[in-house]
Amino acid sequence: MRLAFLGRRLAMLVASLLVASFVIFGALYLAPGNPIAALSGGRSLPPSSIRVLEARYHLNQPFLTQYWYWLSNALHGNLGISITLRENVSSLIESRIWTTAGLVLYASVIILVLGIGLGVLAGLRPGIVDTSALVTSAISAAIPSFVAAILLITLFAVKLRWFPVLGNGTDFVSNLRHFTLPAVALAISSLAIVARVTRAAIREEADREHVQTATSRGIPRRQLIRRHILRNAAIPITTISGITIASLIAVAAVVETAFGLNGLGAYLVAAAQSKDLAVVQGISLVLVTAFVVINVAIDLAYAALDPRVSQGRRAG
Amino acid sequence: MGSKTSRHVAMTLATTVVTVSLAIAGCGRSASSGGSNGDVSPTKGLVATTPAGTKTVPSAIWAVYRDVNSLDPIFAFDYPENTAVSLLCESLLKQSPDGSIGPGLATLATPSPTKLVFTINSAAKFWDGHPVTPADVVYSLDRNTDAKLGGFYSLVFSRVSSIAATGSDQVTITLKQPDYWLPGELASMPGIIIEKAFATKQGKNYGTPAGSIMCTGAYKLKSWTPGVGVTAVASTSYWNSAVKPPLVQQITLKGVPDTTTFTSGLITGAIQGGYTMGLSTLPQLKSNPAVKVYQGPGWATDAFIVSNSKGVLGNEKVRQALSLALNRQAIISSVYKGAALMPRWIANPGTFGYGETTFIRAYDKSPVMTQDMAKARKLIKEAGAQGQTITIGTSSQLSNIAAVTGAYQQAAQAIGLKTKLDSVSAQNYINFFIDPKARAGIDGFLTLNYGDYADPAALLTTIVLPGGSQNYDNFSDPAMTALLEKARGTADPDKRAALVAQAEARAAVELPWIPDVQPTNITIMSKGLSGATTSFAYMFAPWANTLGGTG
Repeated sequence: MRLAFLGRRLAMLVASLLVASFVIFGALYLAPGNPIAALSGGRSLPPSSIRVLEARYHLNQPFLTQYWYWLSNALHGNLGISITLRENVSSLIESRIWTTAGLVLYASVIILVLGIGLGVLAGLRPGIVDTSALVTSAISAAIPSFVAAILLITLFAVKLRWFPVLGNGTDFVSNLRHFTLPAVALAISSLAIVARVTRAAIREEADREHVQTATSRGIPRRQLIRRHILRNAAIPITTISGITIASLIAVAAVVETAFGLNGLGAYLVAAAQSKDLAVVQGISLVLVTAFVVINVAIDLAYAALDPRVSQGRRAG
Repeated sequence: MGSKTSRHVAMTLATTVVTVSLAIAGCGRSASSGGSNGDVSPTKGLVATTPAGTKTVPSAIWAVYRDVNSLDPIFAFDYPENTAVSLLCESLLKQSPDGSIGPGLATLATPSPTKLVFTINSAAKFWDGHPVTPADVVYSLDRNTDAKLGGFYSLVFSRVSSIAATGSDQVTITLKQPDYWLPGELASMPGIIIEKAFATKQGKNYGTPAGSIMCTGAYKLKSWTPGVGVTAVASTSYWNSAVKPPLVQQITLKGVPDTTTFTSGLITGAIQGGYTMGLSTLPQLKSNPAVKVYQGPGWATDAFIVSNSKGVLGNEKVRQALSLALNRQAIISSVYKGAALMPRWIANPGTFGYGETTFIRAYDKSPVMTQDMAKARKLIKEAGAQGQTITIGTSSQLSNIAAVTGAYQQAAQAIGLKTKLDSVSAQNYINFFIDPKARAGIDGFLTLNYGDYADPAALLTTIVLPGGSQNYDNFSDPAMTALLEKARGTADPDKRAALVAQAEARAAVELPWIPDVQPTNITIMSKGLSGATTSFAYMFAPWANTLGGTG
């Protein structure tokens, strides 16, 4: 049962990758601009150089031929060569993947701990706690990552000098220092959304008939919260957390650029600008895979949380 | 899911492209400008160098507007690559911060107008200790024209008939006809010398992150990680004993595309220096005690490219009227925050690298391009162009371009012309330069443009010579062509300067391009550093050899 589910999901992953790679390749092919022009910084290049470079990167071939070159190489594990850096795409991705993974992981931890924590607290404690949580989350939900980045840099890096302005850091401790502001900038608006959904889910469960009945039967509150409210509220919370975390992968680009982090997102933006096809394709495949894997993880979590949910079907 | 990712990319793309342009060319937000507001004197208040540092500094981070893409000189064509290659490598001849050209790895003799004989300095050595040989020189120069490599400087060698080793320390370039522009190019990226044996072994990996490089500079390459930076360390065995060992032990060139990050990095000390032009946060940095801002001679011109000779701008009087109506002081203060000069010629006066007295005397005779509405209106009337429309290619996402476009719109409307904007996305702006289809239907677009060495002719020739790489409207003035061709074959620097000056003076009247302002080169260094080259020469020759700590 579980194996069949995983097999189905794997097939879906392969299909998504294939479709995504074709769509992205096509979109970038159709988009105006020229990867060779990006090498020259806007000044004219001699026509002979342009011809050589076009032939080298098959840019003078029809669209489908170009895509086939890329696909057949990719199937052999060769993601191609970056036009701007003249280097293998896989090694370029490898050197950056941990930055993005670390950033998204750090931000996810912040979202899960603070977002769910705040939501549960607000859900269970109506009154001043709930109101202040609502106000805080309303404000932070409205702050896009790039604004948060500028505010955080100005306050904590330039004025207070608690955290560095840019760069990755060298060891674990300095990595943590370098990644704190970016992770907060990345997490801040998603955190509010997770908190709000959590609060609503908790409220809904707390108002359910079986909880009222349990309360009237004198079941201790602690046990009531754990077994009747949290357990049942867990499915919507998991759904929103999963979607939020998966979307962080895409938003990371903005934050990485603002903080000068050497991550996949910032690189994807730079590569798309210079129409560096192989790099855009390579990074997109990694991002699509990560997205699909996170979704599979969520589905598996549903089954663990609620045995009634058969795998592959979402409840909530 | 795929569409979600790409939509997001499209959004962030826009913001990043804008910030990239900010870092290189400034932003149009108006603010009070500090310092000299568009001085007309070509040299007043400008410094080409800073006092040499005196103290050892363990390391410094130097910002470039985006990541370095190549360390191969034949592909170095934009600010980040030039900054990196000039830090590490040396050319046959060398441009000084004042733009003058002198001996580099070799000295030049010209026994006849069609023979350039280079004698390699006997001390010259690569980082690995191997001496620089004629074979290395021939190989390095030949790479420029090797069709299989597709280097960006092949046209520079158009008058060369052969390059050959003619002695144990000698290389001779034989020319088809005299070419006194070639030495300037050989004091720039096309003249950088790399080690033949090393480069042959590296093959296509030479100058990429996967490979390495072998040059002769006082700084040698330590590592290059894309996204992190190019790290150079002071070489302990630098060949040139006339140069003191570098004081900054390690320099990392880091791509910082975002203006906010660049500015806060400098203020907090995360970045120790960087070169820029027309930075929107310049006033803020000028007043910050943590950094020092220097203005040096610039070689780049901010200009309006006239790309259509058939349209209303095909009429010289309309071009002159538009130029007279342009409020250049507003561009200087809002876009360049005071760090630009009023133009008299298309060339930036920072490019007077030879025959300086001749150039300055001629330059002072050409009028400053100040605003004169009465004269502008009169010219429009004479041309009978009232009510006609000019179409400007622009991009609202590039704030400096958008701001200067606004100034042109204002100028055109004030003299009774109509304007139409053909606005494209930031990443498509480049198509105006490379795609005739993108230029169809527009009368002109804006640029920040420069030549490879300090010579007013270096940029002008690309604009006005028939077949010039940036002659988009097939502009042709036989008299100007004759002057420039004659200059190319004239050995005496002063006589050559006089010819180029005449051509520039004609161009300032005929306006094949309309110069907007002449940006100065801005160097920003943290308070504790000094000694970097502060003129545009940093793009072509070592700029950090005297960089060090102060106090």
